[in-house]
Amino acid sequence: MTQTVPNTTTRTITATVNGEQVTAEVAVRTLLSDFLRHTCELTGTHVGCEQGVCGACTVLVDGEAVRSCLMLAVQVDGRTVETVESLAEEGELSTFQAAMKSHHGLQCGFCTPGILMSVAAERRGDPVERVEGEVLGGHICRCTGYAGIRAAIRETWSKGAQA
Amino acid sequence: MTVTTGASVDGEPRPEGSLIGARVHRVQDDRLLRGNGRYVDDLSDTGTLHAAVVRSGTASGEVTGFDASAALALDGVHLVLGPAELASQLRPVPHPWLIPGQQVTEVPLADTTIRYVGQPLAVVVATSRAVAEDAAELVEIEVKERDAVVGIAAARAADAPLVYPELGTNKVGAIHFGDPAEELEAVFATAALVVDHEFEVPRVGHNSLEPRGIVAEYIPATDRLEIVSSTQVPHLIRQEVAHALGMRVDRVRVVAPDVGGAFGQKTSLFPDEAMVCAAARALGRRVKWIEDRSESMVAAYQGRGQRTRGRLALDADGRFLALHLDIHGDLGAFPSTGTGGAGPFQVSGLMIEGPYRFERAASTITAWYTNAVPTGAFRGYGMQESCFVRERLVDMAARRLGVDPVELRRKNMLGPADLPFVTRTQMPYDNGDYPAALNGAARYGKERARPSEGRIRRGIGYASMTEITGYAPTALQEMFGIHWSTYDSTRIRVNEDGTVTVHSGITGIGQGIETSLAQIAAERLGVPMEWISVDLGDTAVSPYSNMASQASRGLPVGGGALWRAADRLRLRMRGLAASYLKADPESITFEDGTFRAPDGSSVSWREIAHRGWMGWGRDPEGPIALEELEEFDPPSITYGYATHGAQVAVDLDTGKVTVEDYWLSHDAGVVVNPLIAEGQMVGGVAMGIGAALLEQVAYSPYGQPITATYLDYLLPLSEDVPDVAQEHLETPSELIPGGFKGLGESGIIPPPAAIANAVAAAVPEIADRLTALPMSPSAVWTLLDEAGLTR
Amino acid sequence: MKPPPFDYYDPTSVDDVLALLAEHTDGASLLAGGQSLLPLLNMRLARPEVLVDLNRVEGLDTITVTADAVELGATVRLASLERDPRIADSLPVLVEAISRVAHPQIRARTTIGGTLCHADPAAEVPALAVGLGAQLHLRSRTGARVVPAEEFFETIFTTVRQPDELLVRADFPRRPGMVTAYDEISRRHGDFPFAGLFLGVSVVDGVVAEARAAAAGVASRPVRLTGLEGALLGRRLADAVADAAEAASAEIDPPSDHHGSAAFRRGLLRTLVRRLCARLDASTQESR
Repeated sequence: MTQTVPNTTTRTITATVNGEQVTAEVAVRTLLSDFLRHTCELTGTHVGCEQGVCGACTVLVDGEAVRSCLMLAVQVDGRTVETVESLAEEGELSTFQAAMKSHHGLQCGFCTPGILMSVAAERRGDPVERVEGEVLGGHICRCTGYAGIRAAIRETWSKGAQA
Repeated sequence: MTVTTGASVDGEPRPEGSLIGARVHRVQDDRLLRGNGRYVDDLSDTGTLHAAVVRSGTASGEVTGFDASAALALDGVHLVLGPAELASQLRPVPHPWLIPGQQVTEVPLADTTIRYVGQPLAVVVATSRAVAEDAAELVEIEVKERDAVVGIAAARAADAPLVYPELGTNKVGAIHFGDPAEELEAVFATAALVVDHEFEVPRVGHNSLEPRGIVAEYIPATDRLEIVSSTQVPHLIRQEVAHALGMRVDRVRVVAPDVGGAFGQKTSLFPDEAMVCAAARALGRRVKWIEDRSESMVAAYQGRGQRTRGRLALDADGRFLALHLDIHGDLGAFPSTGTGGAGPFQVSGLMIEGPYRFERAASTITAWYTNAVPTGAFRGYGMQESCFVRERLVDMAARRLGVDPVELRRKNMLGPADLPFVTRTQMPYDNGDYPAALNGAARYGKERARPSEGRIRRGIGYASMTEITGYAPTALQEMFGIHWSTYDSTRIRVNEDGTVTVHSGITGIGQGIETSLAQIAAERLGVPMEWISVDLGDTAVSPYSNMASQASRGLPVGGGALWRAADRLRLRMRGLAASYLKADPESITFEDGTFRAPDGSSVSWREIAHRGWMGWGRDPEGPIALEELEEFDPPSITYGYATHGAQVAVDLDTGKVTVEDYWLSHDAGVVVNPLIAEGQMVGGVAMGIGAALLEQVAYSPYGQPITATYLDYLLPLSEDVPDVAQEHLETPSELIPGGFKGLGESGIIPPPAAIANAVAAAVPEIADRLTALPMSPSAVWTLLDEAGLTR
Repeated sequence: MKPPPFDYYDPTSVDDVLALLAEHTDGASLLAGGQSLLPLLNMRLARPEVLVDLNRVEGLDTITVTADAVELGATVRLASLERDPRIADSLPVLVEAISRVAHPQIRARTTIGGTLCHADPAAEVPALAVGLGAQLHLRSRTGARVVPAEEFFETIFTTVRQPDELLVRADFPRRPGMVTAYDEISRRHGDFPFAGLFLGVSVVDGVVAEARAAAAGVASRPVRLTGLEGALLGRRLADAVADAAEAASAEIDPPSDHHGSAAFRRGLLRTLVRRLCARLDASTQESR
């Protein structure tokens, strides 16, 4: 099979990543997950399946939780992206991050950033049942059995705090 | 149910404020929560080339042609190594644990004979993973295909295609544990009741969220190979890589960074990883290979895969007379090396008896080659499978006798006065109170019963188990001829600046052992936990350990070693302070970082550390360096035990089984960190629910993987796993300094049995037919339909 | 895995999209939500020469509610439909079906046009489109046509859309006078359903005057269940349930696969018929 398309097709994109403007030339087939991890060097976003199912790669694009393995980097040109590294303000863990720690909501930590971002996207006032149910339902954790994560969500919501 | 943290090692209540038994938050969590984990793919890519693996798309055949010219012509491609080159650069790795009769005693890492879909055949190295994959597609491999054999039944058939034609059979080997067959058959022939069924536990996949990955760098000038790998066993990898590449072992260094879960899959060198190392050496460069999920689901070793005929004989009063399990195991294309090949089938056979007394018991184990990726170590290591068979047989017997299944267990269970006890398969049980766990679970379960409503049936089921932890005495390994070193060593050091470092052969794989070891170190050394750094996973500094973190040994063997080493170092520090303060060591107190003598004079910990490293004030007969290394060869296996209970709802219209409630009463000896212990239980139970209801690896008759994506291979989600109520009994192990037993595998062993027993209780009409996992909606619906219960 | 190489365009007008499709025809793949296409690209099961990204095309994501229908532009996201009070008001069964699609993180990107054109036989929105009798608007450089949903889906992952056509809009009839509902049976929330059912009935003087039923997951495409509809017509819902369930079960030829046998899927469809008939019966009683 001969290649009909050169594999060097690139674009220059500018995105706002964790509040900072990033401009880079990327191969058009570069996944957003790989752009974040290897171009922006934000390795907190993890890749678990590249099929959109496990949820480890979840980030916020324009404030919405999405699978970064199912977006191309070129699609965030002109958009804002937030990753797990943006959550701890002034170095302090967010309420949900602190709750995850005290409720042992993580073990190996590989799925954790995706869950943190999905929960971060939920607006104040979204019922805790939806977050514990539907939102967490979009994530696979192989280590914890989820009980600690649910407890952390409940504690965070009982404090009336956003993630 | 509350978590009890009662006993301490010597029967004294734990001192107030003791770190042993404290719910300390984990030391690594801040970093992981911030996204500052460092997993193998997080290493900088500067100067790194990327590998892609060319894999077989057919399950059985012979490579007859290989042409990489188109691949090599692609821009950005640095190297392609094909089957012939790889075979010449990689030596086969000897298999450490043979089953009698096993003729494949070493495992070729590169082979021109294809034995499973996904088998690595070549490696491509390029400037990026995407380009490497482009090139991999251009590699042309000619294959002469042969018929494939899939599954145990097919492998046993008289006219089966042979995975190793030269052997004339697909049988790997066989072994018998326990009483002789004739004695068993005599009992079965005359017993009042014999329960006799076939059971099936399918292959499953570990599916840690982080797949495998390796970065290998070869430095030609110094002939050194530096490896970073997502592995449980850096020292074993080092040995196997050195052997495979024909290098001195001291020229190879292996580092395990943060590991995103492992569950037993990351316990050996895989062929594709060896190929990446060969490529790095050929290039004199750093080469990274990260397994993607598609590869993981097809080419990473799997777990389980057993078909068993189980028979239980009882007398008219319900006393257990005999138990026999005829176990057949699906080994796959070759015996997996570090994970043990037929080992899990053998452990299944050794642990058939659980917490009960049998007059006679035995297991016969036969392992079979099939054209599928090898099976090997998976959390529970065979114990889940035989627990499933035994606990289902017990429940079936209770139903036939018309007695309460808890009562039947109680009647036959070994009591504390019966221990220590040697089973019929020669497993030496140590101390404990098995009925206490049963009673705890049963007591809790009494409150949990819920009624059936309409088309929803509800029921409760139990399962009891014993499990191997703290694996294992080196003498046992020698007796069985298993070439894994099983002692472990921990070193604790007070540095010149007063900080404390712990090195151990144990590795961190997400289970939190760094925190537990820090708790032990701080408690025994008598210093704040913040002073302790537990640094694991680097062959350059970690004491030698073949097995590291697996087989529930991290806390008992690594922690047990630390318990002694830290205490010795504490005494030495106190002795140095006493010498400096010219006082009796017994009279020295230590508080707030300061040693004090009765006369009021004092010296700081920091100063003593400095002086210690100068060699001043020491006992002239004693060691100088402020470190203590303890090698611990456990005197025997120390057994955990538990009873689990499950309450399920079965929807007669859809076949769906929901685990509405789950509880357990467990004893793993002294619990260091209840937060971690509880988390290990829930995580294990979640995997057990997956095994019970969701997970199954499937192949077509041609050996093509059917369950190769997460649409088809279903992992437990939050809605599948209820909160788990737990009781921890904490009878200290008398074999382990500190009294710890392991518990990393405990949660996964009973759930399939407890859940199946609960479904049987909910729908007695299909009770005896619940013998195969997973109990998927389709499988259950079919049983319901055949029983006339659907609409 | 990483996607194979392709050329990439992100046009801003429908005309530009149509020009690209006319030029590249079946060498072009349309990227909308990407939740189905990206996995295929990542596994190298899809190998387009050209990717045409629809996400910056203006005017393709409009939502218009008329007295008769809800008109949805092809790039309207499922998540926005879930949140839009106009949809909850005018076509609640659409929200009901959409809420069963995968997970919120997927629905954030999935589009109406994408899920219709991907034509997964187990997908919810295609079944709803057939059930309600949606009209699908296709455009090419050479013309335009409107295709009824029932004629749009040919077989698994295959529709009548030609390589040079773009689905620009889907009109979902509101069917006033009908009570409607959607339900499905899946392993867990968000998994593809074993079977899904849309049912709509209008009840006059206590008996079913009109019925529309369509199923997901029981054939190679979403199917209208005319046998089920016929079993309900002219009868009281409560009386017709058993016959309706049998009729539905008899008229389908579902697949047997790793997840379940044909008999299993038939059984599930019967259960869905019973559930939805009971629900619709209750809501017609309430509205009296």
